[in-house]
Amino acid sequence: MIGLRIAAALIATFLLAPTIVVVGSSFSGGTLPHFPPSDLSLRWYAHALAQPIFTEAAFNSLWLALAATAIATPLALAAAIAIVRGDFAGKSAVQAVLLAPLFVPAIVVSLSILLVSARLGIRDIGLRLVAAHVLITMPYLVRTLIASLTRFDVMLEEAARTLGASPFTTFRIITLPLIWPGLLAGALFALVVSFDNVSVSLFLTSARTNTLPLSILNYVEYNYDPSIAALSTMLVCLSLLAAVVLERLVGLRRVVGS
Amino acid sequence: MSAGKVWGLLVLGRKSELALILPSLCVIVIVLAVPLAYLLSYGVYATGSGFQPRYGFTFANFDKLLRDPFYLSIFGKTFLLSVVATILAGVLGYGFAHFMWRADRRWRGVLTILVLSPLLVSIVVTSFGWIVILGRNGLINQALQGLGLIDEPLRLVFNDVGILIGLVHVVLPFMVLSVLAALERIEPVLTEAAATLGASPARVFRHVILPLSMPGIGAGTTIVFSLCISAYVTPAVLGGNGPNFVTTLIYNQFVALHNWPFGAAVATVLLAVALLTVLLYLRWIGRVSQAGVPAAEARRA
Repeated sequence: MIGLRIAAALIATFLLAPTIVVVGSSFSGGTLPHFPPSDLSLRWYAHALAQPIFTEAAFNSLWLALAATAIATPLALAAAIAIVRGDFAGKSAVQAVLLAPLFVPAIVVSLSILLVSARLGIRDIGLRLVAAHVLITMPYLVRTLIASLTRFDVMLEEAARTLGASPFTTFRIITLPLIWPGLLAGALFALVVSFDNVSVSLFLTSARTNTLPLSILNYVEYNYDPSIAALSTMLVCLSLLAAVVLERLVGLRRVVGS
Repeated sequence: MSAGKVWGLLVLGRKSELALILPSLCVIVIVLAVPLAYLLSYGVYATGSGFQPRYGFTFANFDKLLRDPFYLSIFGKTFLLSVVATILAGVLGYGFAHFMWRADRRWRGVLTILVLSPLLVSIVVTSFGWIVILGRNGLINQALQGLGLIDEPLRLVFNDVGILIGLVHVVLPFMVLSVLAALERIEPVLTEAAATLGASPARVFRHVILPLSMPGIGAGTTIVFSLCISAYVTPAVLGGNGPNFVTTLIYNQFVALHNWPFGAAVATVLLAVALLTVLLYLRWIGRVSQAGVPAAEARRA
């Protein structure tokens, strides 16, 4: 039993090690990221926040995540309602098609969109990024929304209708509050998925219009200083916040899907 | 159609399921299906690098891919590293899932966040963390040198070892979740009965728990393998110079060499392998749900 516990502790260390080291080395005072940090300093935070390539990219990523989630959420909600409540031929096929983006390698998705947009002469980077991110966030939303819609009783809606509520009132007063945690959790996870994505954005950005993860990736290729660690620590804090909220809302495992 | 009617359909979803599903299906068709079809045709319909490829039906790209030992070796290496990473993730993931399954319920929330942390923290961040840990002057080399165990720093990153460590780290959550889901379906009565009848904990594990959690292992390893072969950030950051993985080869062909047709051909092969793995995965799931029914009935009887 003791042996198993030690093994579990080692695996837990393995899982957390890179994150802990990044956070720790962000407080380095020297020019190289070091863990444990030798002399404590916040200078690399100032350095990271003063670089326009990162701040601009952060804004791009934020807008992209918000736009993709805002578009994908209603689309996914409509589809989930049809799948759960509807009774039509090919329902399971439709469901499989909606989850398909999860099974295609992200890098293949990215370059196929690049090829088509090049062929059609679509040069708007924002447009192709938003389209790609709607595609990859939708499956997660569909999955969480199907789960929340399946779990509540249709009788509640029917009772409201019988008692004279209009369909809109029924949706607003009965359906929406009941699926609210699932809706919020799905949207939050969609934000995280979009904000962190690298492989789908890979071929769709340019040197001037970049997302935050891609600008970090480019920076790491030629530089090795603690500013990346500082930037990463800020991202880790955001992720942790999202994780806690998701766990409270519906449970993380349901969102990630297992 | 009045607004009330639209909402009515939304709520009761009786007749116009099509109207509800159409928008999301359009996204799939326009952003996924059509581009993928174009990609497939591009690999057999264009050749040559630069921005002006020659058009015309050809197998030249695939021919080049299958004949050149350099490209074949990249495919072989990707396959091998993915298999090894899958096995390692399988062993570690099973151990940790078993630990979570037996752990006190109070710890569930914390353990879940811990296990999913590689997914929630951006992969760019964790990859950078691995460089700090595994680098020439990194944590591990300094510790080993400090203890006097090695004289020269070990090469743990910017090579295949680095790719392997990074891959196992990022796919481990999926393995743990798959196995844990299977373990949680095991009825406690079964292990208790075996123990009551005198089986040692090791025998209970070998003859009851392990066979019943096999579906989780099958589903977990297939999904993990599929994620490994299509990983990009890990080989790009933690691997050595030059194309060292199928995905970085694709990137190299597209961005550095501008050989889009050949890149498309490589991507086609990657897509085929990935989808084949997913089909295998779905068959696993299918077999599991079929096998699950008589087992559940037997349990009730």
